[in-house]
Amino acid sequence: MISDNISKQVIKYWKIFALLLFCTVLTVLAVYVDFDVEGSIAGGIFVGLTIAVFKGYLVAYNFMHLNDEKPMIYWIILVTLVFFLILLFIPVMWESTLVGKY
Amino acid sequence: MDIKIPYNEDLRPDTGLYNAKLGIWLFLASEVMLFGGLFSSYILLRAGASVWPPIGLDGQSVAHLLEETIGLATFNTVALITSSVTMVMSWVSLKMKDILKFKMYMWITISCAIIFLVVKYFEYSHKIHEGFIPAHDTYMALYFTMTGLHVLHIIGGLFVLVYFVMPNGIKMWDDEPIRFTNRIEVFGLYWHFVDLVWIFLFPVLYLLN
Amino acid sequence: MSNKEHHEESFWTKYVFSIDHKVIGIQYGITALFFLLIGFSLMMVMRWQLAYPDTAIPVVGPFIKWLATLNGFASEGNLPSDLYNVFGAMHGTIMIFLGVVPLIVGAFGNYLVPLQVGAPDMAFPKLNMASYWSYLPGGIIMIISFFLPGGAANSGWTAYPPLSDIATQGQTWWLVAMIFLITSSLLGSVNIIVTVVQLRVKGLTWMKLPFFVWSQLVTSFLLLLAFPPLEVAAIFQLMDRIAGTSFFLPSGLVVSGEMLQVSGGGSPLLWQHLFWFLAHPEVYVLILPGMGVIAEVIANNTRKPLWGYKSLVYSSFFLGFMSFTVWAHHMFLTGMGQGMSTFFQITTMIISVPSVIILSCFMLSLWGGSIRFNVPMLFALGWIPMFGVGGLTGLPLGLSTSDIHLHDTYYVIGHFHYVVAPGTIFALFSGIYFWFPKVTGKMLDETLGKIHFFASFVFMNGVFFPMFIQGLAGVSRRLADGGASYAHAADVLKWNETMSYSAWLLGLAQIPFIVNLIWTLYKDKDSKANANPWNATTIEWTDATSPPLGHGNFKKTPVVYNGPYEYSVPGMKDDFLPQTKKMKKGK
Repeated sequence: MISDNISKQVIKYWKIFALLLFCTVLTVLAVYVDFDVEGSIAGGIFVGLTIAVFKGYLVAYNFMHLNDEKPMIYWIILVTLVFFLILLFIPVMWESTLVGKY
Repeated sequence: MDIKIPYNEDLRPDTGLYNAKLGIWLFLASEVMLFGGLFSSYILLRAGASVWPPIGLDGQSVAHLLEETIGLATFNTVALITSSVTMVMSWVSLKMKDILKFKMYMWITISCAIIFLVVKYFEYSHKIHEGFIPAHDTYMALYFTMTGLHVLHIIGGLFVLVYFVMPNGIKMWDDEPIRFTNRIEVFGLYWHFVDLVWIFLFPVLYLLN
Repeated sequence: MSNKEHHEESFWTKYVFSIDHKVIGIQYGITALFFLLIGFSLMMVMRWQLAYPDTAIPVVGPFIKWLATLNGFASEGNLPSDLYNVFGAMHGTIMIFLGVVPLIVGAFGNYLVPLQVGAPDMAFPKLNMASYWSYLPGGIIMIISFFLPGGAANSGWTAYPPLSDIATQGQTWWLVAMIFLITSSLLGSVNIIVTVVQLRVKGLTWMKLPFFVWSQLVTSFLLLLAFPPLEVAAIFQLMDRIAGTSFFLPSGLVVSGEMLQVSGGGSPLLWQHLFWFLAHPEVYVLILPGMGVIAEVIANNTRKPLWGYKSLVYSSFFLGFMSFTVWAHHMFLTGMGQGMSTFFQITTMIISVPSVIILSCFMLSLWGGSIRFNVPMLFALGWIPMFGVGGLTGLPLGLSTSDIHLHDTYYVIGHFHYVVAPGTIFALFSGIYFWFPKVTGKMLDETLGKIHFFASFVFMNGVFFPMFIQGLAGVSRRLADGGASYAHAADVLKWNETMSYSAWLLGLAQIPFIVNLIWTLYKDKDSKANANPWNATTIEWTDATSPPLGHGNFKKTPVVYNGPYEYSVPGMKDDFLPQTKKMKKGK
């Protein structure tokens, strides 16, 4: 019945909630651990952002019902993400290809 | 006007969507680009800075103050995540035809949002009081602009949340329960997105320094 | 569904705050045409200054003197350079954001898309009204800013910092107005996409859509996803100007001999990235719906299907997608590295391919057609070579080596005006003449239309072609004296007069058009006029009355059986098969 299905969903939502809280704690704790890798700007930033991406995925996939959305929505999100990534990374890649820094 | 627009409530067969569902996802796509522009600017300005957070004209950096506010910001994160799950529970309550549970979860969502705003108010005034205004350095400029824009989204959402629990907004449940449920679902998508943005703002602005 | 009674509408809800897409479309149309006139007038004044620098302007001289004084500039009826800069910045801004886009998307898109997909209205009628009522205040704010001390925005439509950060107050008004306009655009684009996806009638599958609808759909995606970074940039610039931040102000900036007391650490390039991330897709917003109009007019007036419908559709997707990957070709001279330069040159060269495919399809569509040389078709035929010139002249700009010589010269101005002026605007004129009988039930006069076309065609070329000559000689853009103070411009200065006279004659050439519009509107409706005077196939012609119903669009919801361009179908008596007509055997 619909109500059975829904009560299963409800349990799942609360489980996701608990997982999100746990990840939040992890993110904060990670600040106090020195992840820095030699010669890289990654390290701590990478860990923090990975956890954030995972949390974001949990919210998007479960709360925003992306786990069973329609293809049209998936396509819109995909196209948006491609442009989002272009916007995010091209300006800063500018710096890395300069012949001489001014 | 009494023109009937098709697929406002029922699902169009080939797309499987009702109109507002597609509409809100398109709106969210543009919001992804909006916050994408903000994060891209953050990356560019940070990459070009020798020290982060930068030192202002008064010789101070906000780094030390930021560390103190990690606790508050974490609390705010918890508040928003809670509001996110209570928002989805509001929608579930409507699916289960329980209007009282709906109201309860909505009021918890509203409370969480208000708590978030109150905490933000204290954060902002503390920083400003210490002289860390947007003009102080590019980090503060980004901090206030990014969180400020996010706060505006929370305030906007708050207005809609309150509307949906007030008599004027909730009366649609009596005549058109499916349409009302859809409205809550659509708003819920917006609200989760606002939470999602904070999930990224929190580590980027508070933790990665 | 609750049974609502049809209630009487007041003047306000019927004509002002209407949620009917047709009324909103007409509102956009009239408003945009007024703004086009204002933007054009600015240019006509500028062209006097370019032809006869620092001399008093005839007719409007006193008004210019009054305006200059209001702004705090000295003038004896001439256009002082400070005011020239204002006019230049606002000409671009008004034409693009208040004129062309609201006309092709807000007016044409709003009016025609629901009709062409068989829908009773847009998916979100109230949102549609909100989008118009965000556009109008934005436009009004822009116009008011002319009358402030310091004048309107004067840092170019591109508003580059640091100059725009420290410019006069008009720039702040510009930024606020842009936020209204971006909001309007956002609401409109969501509406168009949902309408096309969700409200197509039964039988109207994707590949039966008129190309006009496809062009509006892709355009709406461009607007939806490309505008937000400009909104971010506008907010940042507002913060810089009002809150004293340094998003775009680098450290150590000296203004008028004094170090600027700001935190610094900002990047002027950041503005350029965010701005051009929008502004490049924006130029495809400017051209794509125009291509949609041309497609409809050509198919209809060759009495045969468009050549390469699928190529057109896929090219427009590819064009839309690629438009997000080329923006830094506007920034070749900012000191970018080899890698970036190579990347953007490659993407820019690639993006010319779908444009050429689309142009080729239109040209090939003419082959073997029974061409009717009515006014819409004349504009469409004129469009083809003009867009060709515009597109071809973009190539040396897209290659960074040649761009070093041509960047920020009149060559650029010639290039983009060819694409927008005898490009998009010709498409707009074509569309106005074509769809006027649908909107009003009356046909525009052919003779006046032909005068309008031939005169405009000649004078458009007179204004813009010499710009290539001046640009190749190295004359920079945005010079208030038209290059007079530069030795390298001496030989080509003489073109200024030619271009200016062409511009003023181009202005006169619009009079038959304006007269035509007003006169036809006041004429009585011809009792013999039919709802499909062009014998067209698409739904707005075959199932809607002229003008379409005030309430809803169709007496009976259409059902689609055929493709959009079934002209001269073999074996048929008529030379066109409406989309909604079920073909019976032997007909």
